[in-house]
Amino acid sequence: MSKRVWNHPEVPAGESATQVWRSPGELEGNPLFQDWLEREFPEGGELTKEEQELSRRNFVKLMGASSALAGLGLASCRRPETYIVPYSNAPEWIIPGKALFYATAMPRPTGAVPLLVTSYEGRPTKVEPNTDHPESSGTDAFTQASILNLYDPFRSKEVLRQGKKATRAELDAALKDFSAQAGKVGFVFGEDDSPTRTRLIGELKKKFPGAKAYRYETLESHASEEVLGDGVKMVVDFAKADRILSFDCDFTSLDQVGPVKPFFDRRQGGSHDGGKLYGHDLDPKKMNRLYQVEAAYSLTGGVADHRLRTAPSQIIKVAAAIATALEVSGANTKLEGDDAKWVEECANDLKAHAGKSVILAGNRHSKELHELVAAMNAKLGNVGGDKPASLVQTGNKGLAGLTELAADLESGAIENLVLLTPSNPVYDAPADFNFKELLGKAKTSIHWGLRTDATAYAATWHVPAAHYLESWGDAKTAKGTHALLQPLILPLYDGIGELDLLSAFLNGGELKLGDEQTPSAGYDEVRKTFEMAAGKDVSAWSKALQFGFIEASYPEVALPQVAPKPGASLEAPAPTKDSLDVIFAADASVWDGRYIDNSWLQEAPDPISKLTWDNVAYISPKTADSLGISKELIELEPINNVAGIDVKNAPRPEIGEGEKARAYMIDVTLGEKTLKIPVLVSFGLAENTIVLPVGYGQAADDGRSAAIKFDSSKPTVGFVGLNTGFNVYPLRTSDGSFVQGGAKVGTNTGRYNVSLTQEHHAMYGRALAREISTAPVESHGHEVPFKDQVKKVSKQGMDSHMPPNKSIYKPNDTEGKPLISDDRHQWAMAIDLNTCMGCNACLVACQSENNIPVVGKEQVAKGREMHWIRMDRYYAAAPDGNEDNPEMIPQPVACVQCELAPCETVCPVNATVHNEEGLNVMAYNRCIGTRYCANNCPYKARRFNFFDYNKRNPLVEKNLYKGPWGEKQVGDSRHLQRNPNVSVRMRGVMEKCTYCVQRLENAKIKKKQITRKKSLGMASTEVKVSAEDLRIKVDSVKTACQDACPAGAITFGNKLDGNKSAMVRAKESARNYDLLNYIGTLPRTSYLARVKNPNPTMPDAKSVGRATINIH
Amino acid sequence: MANFFPRWSNFTPLKLAICLGAIGFGVTFVFAVYSGPQSQRVGYQPTQPIPYSHEIHVNQLGMDCRYCHSFVEHGSQANVPSANVCWNCHGPNKVQSDNPKLSPLYAAMGIDQATGAEMTPVPLEWVRVHKAPDYVYFNHSAHVNRGVSCQSCHGDVNNMKVVHHEESLTMGWCLDCHRNPEEHLRPIEEVTNLDYDVEEYLKANPIKDAEGNAIETQTEFGAFLKAHWNVKPKESCATCHR
Repeated sequence: MSKRVWNHPEVPAGESATQVWRSPGELEGNPLFQDWLEREFPEGGELTKEEQELSRRNFVKLMGASSALAGLGLASCRRPETYIVPYSNAPEWIIPGKALFYATAMPRPTGAVPLLVTSYEGRPTKVEPNTDHPESSGTDAFTQASILNLYDPFRSKEVLRQGKKATRAELDAALKDFSAQAGKVGFVFGEDDSPTRTRLIGELKKKFPGAKAYRYETLESHASEEVLGDGVKMVVDFAKADRILSFDCDFTSLDQVGPVKPFFDRRQGGSHDGGKLYGHDLDPKKMNRLYQVEAAYSLTGGVADHRLRTAPSQIIKVAAAIATALEVSGANTKLEGDDAKWVEECANDLKAHAGKSVILAGNRHSKELHELVAAMNAKLGNVGGDKPASLVQTGNKGLAGLTELAADLESGAIENLVLLTPSNPVYDAPADFNFKELLGKAKTSIHWGLRTDATAYAATWHVPAAHYLESWGDAKTAKGTHALLQPLILPLYDGIGELDLLSAFLNGGELKLGDEQTPSAGYDEVRKTFEMAAGKDVSAWSKALQFGFIEASYPEVALPQVAPKPGASLEAPAPTKDSLDVIFAADASVWDGRYIDNSWLQEAPDPISKLTWDNVAYISPKTADSLGISKELIELEPINNVAGIDVKNAPRPEIGEGEKARAYMIDVTLGEKTLKIPVLVSFGLAENTIVLPVGYGQAADDGRSAAIKFDSSKPTVGFVGLNTGFNVYPLRTSDGSFVQGGAKVGTNTGRYNVSLTQEHHAMYGRALAREISTAPVESHGHEVPFKDQVKKVSKQGMDSHMPPNKSIYKPNDTEGKPLISDDRHQWAMAIDLNTCMGCNACLVACQSENNIPVVGKEQVAKGREMHWIRMDRYYAAAPDGNEDNPEMIPQPVACVQCELAPCETVCPVNATVHNEEGLNVMAYNRCIGTRYCANNCPYKARRFNFFDYNKRNPLVEKNLYKGPWGEKQVGDSRHLQRNPNVSVRMRGVMEKCTYCVQRLENAKIKKKQITRKKSLGMASTEVKVSAEDLRIKVDSVKTACQDACPAGAITFGNKLDGNKSAMVRAKESARNYDLLNYIGTLPRTSYLARVKNPNPTMPDAKSVGRATINIH
Repeated sequence: MANFFPRWSNFTPLKLAICLGAIGFGVTFVFAVYSGPQSQRVGYQPTQPIPYSHEIHVNQLGMDCRYCHSFVEHGSQANVPSANVCWNCHGPNKVQSDNPKLSPLYAAMGIDQATGAEMTPVPLEWVRVHKAPDYVYFNHSAHVNRGVSCQSCHGDVNNMKVVHHEESLTMGWCLDCHRNPEEHLRPIEEVTNLDYDVEEYLKANPIKDAEGNAIETQTEFGAFLKAHWNVKPKESCATCHR
């Protein structure tokens, strides 16, 4: 029987409604999307023929074998003997089963991320932001996933010489030789700033008179430093910025310029004033306003109030035009058409907020753009003192770049090379450098890294690195706080820390590594730097280690006089369909390629495109049209004829929806190089522009042309990174850096299977992610001011039509007692869409906390991804808006813990039931896998283990179908990351979010010690314990997603705390609404509508913030 | 045609049904009684690497449970003591230091008991007696801090020369107590007192209920403590299964 489907009311004749869609298929009304929508398990609901066949055969085999064994001896009568092996000498502080927390930091080029790491019996399992740190601003997906890199089974473990395994003794000897005769040695560092490293560079230069230091990370450009000064960067305090204009700067996620939390606090329009979250109503006057000029959608573009879609080569023209309007000397550019008005009004708004605004330029843009931006900021008086932006001098001074390195190697100014950069220059340096050849020019090169990547094999020596969670170190956060890195565990594979290695060079090549008793050389060096900064006081050191940092800040420098000379860059012709602009973009999953072996990141859907496990080229729908391939791209229908497919062993189409998403392949020709890559349409992308995310295609053995051929004797990736994506670096040359023009596209070169999740688990209903505008909007023919829009949030979409719904599910048990009865805790959550940008930090944090397995590309295609949090992303275009530049709204959806849950009534074994505290809990050991619950879940928040993803390696081809004969991954080092407080689910079990119930239970149990505490000094029979005594402190327990969120979008707490809890205050806001309220499930998770703050004088003001207002 | 079946066969189906029924009932009964945890687990008494006697340490020497199981009030697990705890009393030239039964302890501390030479430490492997399944998250501190004694689950360990499994530890058994905690609650001070007797305690410390009547039985006393301490044991799945 088909599902009873609520028919949405038709749009009345003569009215037009806002259009909202998740995928081209939904926009075009493709029947395939309807199919996804109507069935809970589109493909996975039934096993395919092959799967059925295999499992039946396996079942018979297994039964035969097991009955034979049972006959041999009744071995299973008694449970097996197990052992308890206590420590011989118990280490201090460790209580078995209880976590310890240590402060450390993750070094990043944009500033270290202060962290608090959870450790069970010496085994780090989870990273969380260190909220004691003044610059703490959550974490992003990379930081959350970095713990998996620690346990990566394909981490570099062996010393390599000329690409062949060598012994430690050989390395020790080589290091001694090297230190004795290094002479003209070049050190190439990463772009992060470490005070100890800076100090050691000075000492190295003294010791080796010919030594030179460089820095290189692929995606870090030095264009802004050419303008601002060597090692100078701009740091922004968003709390002070009323207006922000960003030229392709993704400052909320990939190109951070300072902590982002204050930016999102300002989005809340004063409702967080006084540090009390949701203490006040949102006041539009206190909101900041963001103007974004960009080509492709970034997450920052998604939260922008006004977004100007501009081809990448034309962004500088917009910048010059705004500079002209701001009367910056040297600028004289005028735009025409709609953009002229946009520029004029934007400039007026900035002028009106001079000194309280900031203008940002994308990290990878040209020097000319950075000059213009610096001049505009100077003109507006936005820099220095108590202004939003400040220029600071980092420690990365006097370090040359890649161009100088190439020249020095070429000329012989550098004879030996030590590569300490986390990037992989042989793979990712601009093609015209031919870095591999350059590296060959060095007499001896030593590569230090976590992975045996292409550079590791090209260098004379490769030294396995210690992960940042295994080494001593220090790092500067964005504003210059001195953060300390302490090891959570001894190096798993005898990796060597960066400071250990540098210190060895200073000490005649003598490596001093740590063991259980003595710390490594890195400790001595970090301690020495610390003592120089904070004195020899041991208690100061202990305190710094405990809190993870010492107060410090970068010295401020004055803005240099900048006279912008955009000159020739303004003459770049606008791209056409025969000469397209190409953007080499940072990838949200693998960054520059270094996370290629991180399965969490690979499987996390790209925040914009929702693509997993691959990179593809993106073009706009209109460009696809003009190239004549729009039919192929928008209707991702299967074609029977796969002739001409270039990928020899690509998975062949099977029956079902999964393989329908087969992307069309194109040839992108840039200069003399051609790249065969699949292409997808992306909304909001500038016309005649191709986006090519970097970092993929590092090794493939399936014959795809645009990837490096996999050499099993020199494996550069593990099975996670193998056969993923396409290598776009060969197209990139140094002169065009990250934006290049003049690309040509050839079509019809085959198809490629992609795993897109944008249509998976689609919900019925309208106005799911709601939005309002601070400016009056037109609705049903009359103007609605902000005040009334707020009031009507809970009546948007379906909720304006439906009478209050009475649920058929009963809130009482058979005896009439309420099922949700606890008088101490009633849990609930509020997710604020106003601050959510859709960055995936919560999704990966949840995976890390709750032992969620990865399932691999083929299973994702079938809709079987296991992420408990689904990051939905909607595009929306108001009736009078521009469908080519729609708005983008992300919405994280996990189980909303319905009070009257449809899933519970259909479970035949009571495996999913409510607890007294309002949680819809899962008893995994009781689940028999009927999947009725998932079928009945209107939010599609339940995930099913179709296979034993935890035990059987899903990343080996067809492995899941081999049953007990498949490759197992039990005992794999990644299992050390598991959270011991959460069951690891097996095949045939349903799972879902339970508000991190393990954290709630732990917090409650901790509170129970109060009976004993109160009994100290008096008879316990006289002790009285009240419900309040047992209630955990207001907002003291946090879920993993809430903890990770860099924007503070998630509030969680106890409803019985009343409005002392930020969550309750959030729910009292008029912006609060329940998802699919009309079904009457009474969800405990509610959402707060997003507020856009358009400038009413802008030409597009009328269509901003209306993603759901005009939905029927 | 003559009767194919003789007359006596008329009752054969009935007899067969009764026999099969009896066999079926017997098999089910035996299976139910002897295959369940109450038969399979209760009485389990493995041989330990060191014949440690709780009887000597608790009854004769008067040691508290928490000297060795030191984290029972703080963590989920009532830890088996690390070797260095035993070492406090049984180290070289201390109690029973030349007893060969202690040689595994010496090995764990990296000393060869016979020669006194240093050796690579060999950790002690105690055989696990009480085991909750992996999907059960039992927490000791949640119980001992709320007046549930060690005795309630582990029996009279103070009288055990060799520890054995006393209770069935099935889910039904857990729920019995979660539904009627009155039967087991005792004052916090008495949680580790394994000689505790509720009537003697109440005689020594007379306690009156709300109406002013003297409390005399465990049920009354348990109800009193339950109300005073706000003990509301949960029965929902997430209490133990996560």
